[in-house]
Amino acid sequence: MLSRIARNVYVLGQQIERAENIARILDVNRRMSLEQGYFSELDVWSPMLAITHSREAFDKRFDEVTEQSVMDFLIADADNPYSIRACIGQAREMARTIRERISEEMWLSLNRMYQDVERAGRLSNHIEFLADVRQFCSAFHGLVDNTMSHGESWNFLRLGVGLERARMTTRILEIKYHLLLPSLDEVGKPLDYHQWQALLRSVSGYEAYRRQYKARINPELVLRLLNLDPRFPRSVHFSIKQVVKSLKGIGTVNRDQYALLREAEYFLDDLRGGAALEQLQKSSLKDYLDSVQLRCHTIDDMINHSFFNSTTVTMSDSNKNLISIQIPQQQQAGIR
Amino acid sequence: MNENPSPLFSSAGAAPFDEAYASSDELRAIYRQAVRHFEAQGVDGVESLQHSADLSMLNQGVTFTVYSDARGTEKIFPFDLMPRIISAPDWDKVEAGVVQRMQALNMFLEDVYHEQKILKDGMVPTAQVMMSSLYCREMSGLNPPGGMHVHIGGIDLIRNATGEFHVLEDNLRVPSGVSYVIENRWVMGRVQPKLLNQYKVRPVDHYPQMLFDSLASLSTQDNPNVAVLTPGIYNSAYFEHSFLANQMGAELVEGQDLLVDRDVVYMKTTRGLQRVDVIYLRIDTEFLDPLAFRPDSMLGVPGLMNAYRAGNVALANAPGNGVADDKALYAYTPEIIRYYLDQEPILPIIPTYLGSREKDLAYILDHLPELVVKPTDASGGYGLLVGSAASKQELADFRVAIAANPDHYIAQPIQQLSTHPTWVEQDGQKGFFPRHVDLRPYAVCDVKGDVKVLPGGLTRVALRQGSLVVNSSQGGGSKDTWVLYPQNAEVPHA
Repeated sequence: MLSRIARNVYVLGQQIERAENIARILDVNRRMSLEQGYFSELDVWSPMLAITHSREAFDKRFDEVTEQSVMDFLIADADNPYSIRACIGQAREMARTIRERISEEMWLSLNRMYQDVERAGRLSNHIEFLADVRQFCSAFHGLVDNTMSHGESWNFLRLGVGLERARMTTRILEIKYHLLLPSLDEVGKPLDYHQWQALLRSVSGYEAYRRQYKARINPELVLRLLNLDPRFPRSVHFSIKQVVKSLKGIGTVNRDQYALLREAEYFLDDLRGGAALEQLQKSSLKDYLDSVQLRCHTIDDMINHSFFNSTTVTMSDSNKNLISIQIPQQQQAGIR
Repeated sequence: MNENPSPLFSSAGAAPFDEAYASSDELRAIYRQAVRHFEAQGVDGVESLQHSADLSMLNQGVTFTVYSDARGTEKIFPFDLMPRIISAPDWDKVEAGVVQRMQALNMFLEDVYHEQKILKDGMVPTAQVMMSSLYCREMSGLNPPGGMHVHIGGIDLIRNATGEFHVLEDNLRVPSGVSYVIENRWVMGRVQPKLLNQYKVRPVDHYPQMLFDSLASLSTQDNPNVAVLTPGIYNSAYFEHSFLANQMGAELVEGQDLLVDRDVVYMKTTRGLQRVDVIYLRIDTEFLDPLAFRPDSMLGVPGLMNAYRAGNVALANAPGNGVADDKALYAYTPEIIRYYLDQEPILPIIPTYLGSREKDLAYILDHLPELVVKPTDASGGYGLLVGSAASKQELADFRVAIAANPDHYIAQPIQQLSTHPTWVEQDGQKGFFPRHVDLRPYAVCDVKGDVKVLPGGLTRVALRQGSLVVNSSQGGGSKDTWVLYPQNAEVPHA
């Protein structure tokens, strides 16, 4: 399969997942800010910009951090790569180049969402729109699994979704340390409790939590569910499991690709065994989330290198054995 | 109910030669069955057939992009239900004429990029070839496989008042439209299966196989890797690029998918680099290789020409063919055929006045209203002047432009293109009215110089009453073209 096509399918999955999670992040914030009346000094909107790494770009566009301006920036700003509009726009652009590889239903559904986002402009009803985006993304995943042949393209799409989901779940968890409580005394008090509950709901994890732990909201257990639970579909563990499955589905033919698969499998082992739990308990939440994001970043780099920009030539020698030859870097002047 | 319904067919306004009417009230034999078939459907019946044909086209995504439209929107190429029917004897002549041209022009190209005998013998002015912006210096001395330059050609033909086929133009660079030929037949098979069955029509759907065989013959490998190089999804013919690649089982690549290492072309795949042996080029030569041609090209592949020169990859069509399908060179094509093949041209050309010839220039400027003037460097019907239809201002503007840059223009007497019954609305009434048509047959040529012509081709039709411009970018439509088996011939089972 052409690297460009594979990359475009991968990015398609990634962008759909990103759009969904931005909608979820905005939603958790909206839920948290409902309590704001009691704690008016609490700034719930600045953390949004920190999580999406877009504070700098935001400051160039807006003077003041308000609910309206942050919502506008993260929903409808075409120049902000972390806006829902930009994600859906890029997903559609990718889909256009791979029309023959995806199903007609996927294209129609994505194109309709794109038209809706483009038309949205300044929204009067954010809540409904964010719900629409989440609904669309879930429906899109259904179409992916039910209308697309489960071959190489499908695996690359799921690879993009899996890795992005692992990353975005940790971003959502970041909200908790960006969003400082008014005072340390509040830890374990109603406001803290309320925030954790809002966070759980935003990843559709409230019911799962209740059923799994049959306990009141306990931050440690929330972190376990969202990081280590093998069955909760938005946990880091579950997402990385999907990454490994997709990589195995695609197959490895050279050393770089094998190294990538091994890296993902080590990660999965750590999440499955005690290593990640131990780290979660011993180090600070921020250090833990940073290390997960770093590992996701490494895997993304390796995917780019070994699948999308591979300069390895694999051929059979005189004995029909597969041999790999690496084209040296200086020969690659023509590669863009 | 109306006792005397107005007839579905009208020959009013037909050209001196109409494809279906021998005279204003007499149908040609091969059209009788088709006309009866449509008459039996009535206006509503035909309308509903046309509707399902249009829908079929839209669903198939048979679209093209119009450049003048700022949004670059995709449109369907209007498809006309009434097939254009060509008898076996008529086709035999077309086929022989196309083969002859392809062979002669291939020899001409090999000659002008090597010994240039035809220039030394003075049959074609040296300036005409060597000063042409289409002469490709990078091709000089380069030996393409088998000495073949034109692997895929589309020859535009028209029938004039006498009904004889004339060559209007050769397309030896990136002739497009063949996907419509196949799609049109496919739609016909869906909406008019009975009519199609009644006629013994030669099939066209083997074109991708013909093309693949011709491309594969250019490589010495047993199972060559063939790729189709497209500028990308924004190109007007992207649908065709993707269609042909799919039908041939070839990879559809963009410039960014290819890289050249030590004069070998590879495509970048998820399994690493894979060698490419033959590339069917669907991008213009000037964008092909930024190291050899336009350095700002983002569409091309740096080093591709070196790989070609080293013989490690075959390109089809070869770069530099423009020098042979140039509108000015066209005037010399009968001489070229005589020179290389020692044969008389089977298909005549239209008398052509060259702005570059002093005597011709004077004639052009004196007779503008009777001429069609074409810029030598444009295609697709852009920048064309039809003298009889032009306003005084347009004529004056062209006169200035031609005088300022005579080498850039050629002129031909306005041709009475043949007409063909076409489903349109005229004077508020739906019916089959005469509209002007042309014909573009497609031919492929393998490494040994064996030319095969697809029995059929693209019939383009000017949908506007009286219009002579059939280009899709100028509001033209297309028809399915039926080439019939010889009468009493054994029809092979497809």
